[in-house]
Amino acid sequence: MSFLHPLALLGLAAAAIPALLHLLERRVPPEAEFPPIRYLSEAERQSARRLKLRHLLLLLLRTALIVLIVMAAARPLVRSRGAVGGGAHEPTALALILDNSPSSGAVVDGRPLIERLKRVARAAIARAATGDRLWLMLSDGVARAGSRDGLLATVDSVVPGWRRLDLTEAVARATRLVNAEPLPGREVAVVSDLQRTTLGQGRADIPRGVRVLALAPRSSGEALANRGVAQARVADGALAITVAGTPGGTPASVTVRLRPAGGPAGRSRDVGRALAAPGSSASVPLPSVAPGWWIGEAVLDPDELRADDRRAFVWRVALPARVRADPGAGPFVAAALVVLAQGRRIVEGSDVVVGERLQGGAGTTVLLPPGDPALIGQANRALAAHGVPWRFGDVGTPGAIGSAAVAGIGGIPVARRYRLTGAAGDTTAVLATVNGDPWLVRAADVVLLGSRLDTAWTALPASPAFVSFVDVLVNRLARGEALVTEAEGPPGVVFQLQGADTVGAVVTAPDPRESDLTPATPDVVGRAIGAEMLDEAGFAAEQYAGTRRTDVSALLLVLALLVAGVELGVATRAQ
Amino acid sequence: MTDVRRIDLLDPAEVARLGGIEIVAQGVVEGFLAGIHRSPFRGFSVEFTEHRAYQPGDEPRYLDWKILARADRLFVKQFEEETNLRAMLLVDASRSMAWRGAPGRLTKRAYADRLVAALALILLRQRDATGLITFDEAVRQVIPARVRTGQWTRLVRALLDTPDGRGTAAEAALLHLTGLLARRGLVVLVSDLLFDRALALTALRYLRHRGHNVIVFHVMDPAEAELSGPPEVRFRDPESRASVVVRPRELARAYGETVRREVAAWRSACRRHGIGYHHVLTDLPFGMALRLLA
Repeated sequence: MSFLHPLALLGLAAAAIPALLHLLERRVPPEAEFPPIRYLSEAERQSARRLKLRHLLLLLLRTALIVLIVMAAARPLVRSRGAVGGGAHEPTALALILDNSPSSGAVVDGRPLIERLKRVARAAIARAATGDRLWLMLSDGVARAGSRDGLLATVDSVVPGWRRLDLTEAVARATRLVNAEPLPGREVAVVSDLQRTTLGQGRADIPRGVRVLALAPRSSGEALANRGVAQARVADGALAITVAGTPGGTPASVTVRLRPAGGPAGRSRDVGRALAAPGSSASVPLPSVAPGWWIGEAVLDPDELRADDRRAFVWRVALPARVRADPGAGPFVAAALVVLAQGRRIVEGSDVVVGERLQGGAGTTVLLPPGDPALIGQANRALAAHGVPWRFGDVGTPGAIGSAAVAGIGGIPVARRYRLTGAAGDTTAVLATVNGDPWLVRAADVVLLGSRLDTAWTALPASPAFVSFVDVLVNRLARGEALVTEAEGPPGVVFQLQGADTVGAVVTAPDPRESDLTPATPDVVGRAIGAEMLDEAGFAAEQYAGTRRTDVSALLLVLALLVAGVELGVATRAQ
Repeated sequence: MTDVRRIDLLDPAEVARLGGIEIVAQGVVEGFLAGIHRSPFRGFSVEFTEHRAYQPGDEPRYLDWKILARADRLFVKQFEEETNLRAMLLVDASRSMAWRGAPGRLTKRAYADRLVAALALILLRQRDATGLITFDEAVRQVIPARVRTGQWTRLVRALLDTPDGRGTAAEAALLHLTGLLARRGLVVLVSDLLFDRALALTALRYLRHRGHNVIVFHVMDPAEAELSGPPEVRFRDPESRASVVVRPRELARAYGETVRREVAAWRSACRRHGIGYHHVLTDLPFGMALRLLA
């Protein structure tokens, strides 16, 4: 129990008045002669118990009357779980997580979901009292501390963002924030569309005493159909498109547009079309275009969530590499280069040399391990002299190739190999691995392979991906790639310039997980963030419920009236 | 039309203001006898002495019916000591009797004195030997029962000469009285009965056993019958000096019940032993009190 006017409790000292009056009144009563005192004594003896009880009752009633009136004046607040907004509450630390991730822009029942989320968040903050400590966390993960009015203004200005919210992590951070506050109430309110994918991995550790409330999706259990372009990457002259979205959706048509970088967007032209269902991929061959940077986008037909309907990509078109193979490179490499030359993917030249010796002049060497183990030391010395930190190490165990940088070679067995050692921690140089050991690395103008490209060493030369692998090896890996990275943000491309040269690009797009609008089940929510899913009414009712206080002064006054009535009755009966 | 007011039916305090005990008693008796037209008290001697001619006013029960049948003449029978009832009036003069609940009222003792004086006058007028004993913790005055001239004056003087006592040991006094009342007669006790009922009844029962006709006037001030007073007061017994602090408003009902129970107990006990009992408040007109004996 707390009080709005605790100083009024000083008046409780007045509760001693009845007892004091009783004592003072008894001190010097008037005296009179009364002969039949034996009758008095007899009457008093017979009614002494009743009179004592009545006196005690009157004393208690009068004391209680004063206590009740003083307590009512102090405006006591007691815990209650009554109607929303029906009472005050003890100071509470409240962290409100408003999920304005891209999925909040989905249109539900004809209105953007973000409007509903903002309305609920606004109501939650508006009920805060002066002594509360408030934070507002959006999908950017920043906890904004502020006053009620300040945070209300922030909520009003919120629009769907481009950042995905990892709700589990956000709740964990929010609970730590509120738990650090020495206030009676500690709550985390989650106002989100509660996508299944937003909960991320693991579970938030909810400290004892912190309540987590989550607003339930309006159409609980019924996923909103949605499709989005999850990925659009150019690889080896084709655009690989992955479509994400709510599982079970029908295939959608994806249109690919392309335009030269620096050209106006209106000059985009459709270069291909594919059909893909959520969770599936499609490849669209790109036309031959002039060398240079190209910007394209994969566009889906509009649906309820527009933020993921298009995704940009960049394509750097380079001239064919000038390649030469040493005799030590083996017949398989030579044959592949012939094929590539016929396809005009390469031309004869010395920009890239494939062999078991380092090229002395300018250009890049794709260095294979020597077939004679006795020459390994010589090769390593050459690498050291060339300033390459990588070396051929011990003979490694057989295994399969694993690579994210080169498509099509994953899982191909490797029977013989050398472990590539050096440059510890420089994982960006590792392009493929076998059994976790680097197998294909790039350092400066040298690309090292852990195995010779021979069927005695690996099954790669016998696989259909071998020519493509050699193409990638000489055209892309050996000549160096312009760095193209992806980041969360509105669909678009930002180029990185170095002087007058474009050296890289950043493709921004929403996180593909935002496309799956399947809501999380209450069980999943409970496990992940320890929250109870509540509808709007329940959400509002439960908020501050742990510390909600109701002013019971009116009740105390009614009680005081009742006590006064009883006291009057007892006193009247006594007289 | 003349407004005739009988003194015996006036408020005792108002009557007392008319004069001393003698005047008051005489006035009361005159009024009282005029009201009932005959003596309420009769002797009980049965010694026949002679006949005499009937006079108007004689009691028809004393007519000699045999003579009337034989000679057709009216004669009444006369008895020895026919009017010579021996009445002894016992007046409680204890300290508690000198109390009144309001300034406008008589003290219990004053009321008892006037009542006893009137009663004595009635008895003496019909030639009954009347005596008086006053007592508190001891016997204070003893006037033997006589019919002689001046007896009433002596009785009144004895009443006036008996001061208010200090305490009440009525039991001992009553036992002592039994020795003084050798011959059977009428014993009238006028007291507030604020003493041990069992012991007092023992003495009264003894008198009754000795053949006395015993009548008890239980005199009580109206303020003793119904408790009232300030919100809280310390009541002190004028005799024992014992005190008790009470709130009259709270205790009034229980007190009233206690008094009614006490009166009922006295009445019941007296009836059980053939003793006349009359509860008299000091605001009851003397005539009404005397009528209780008729």
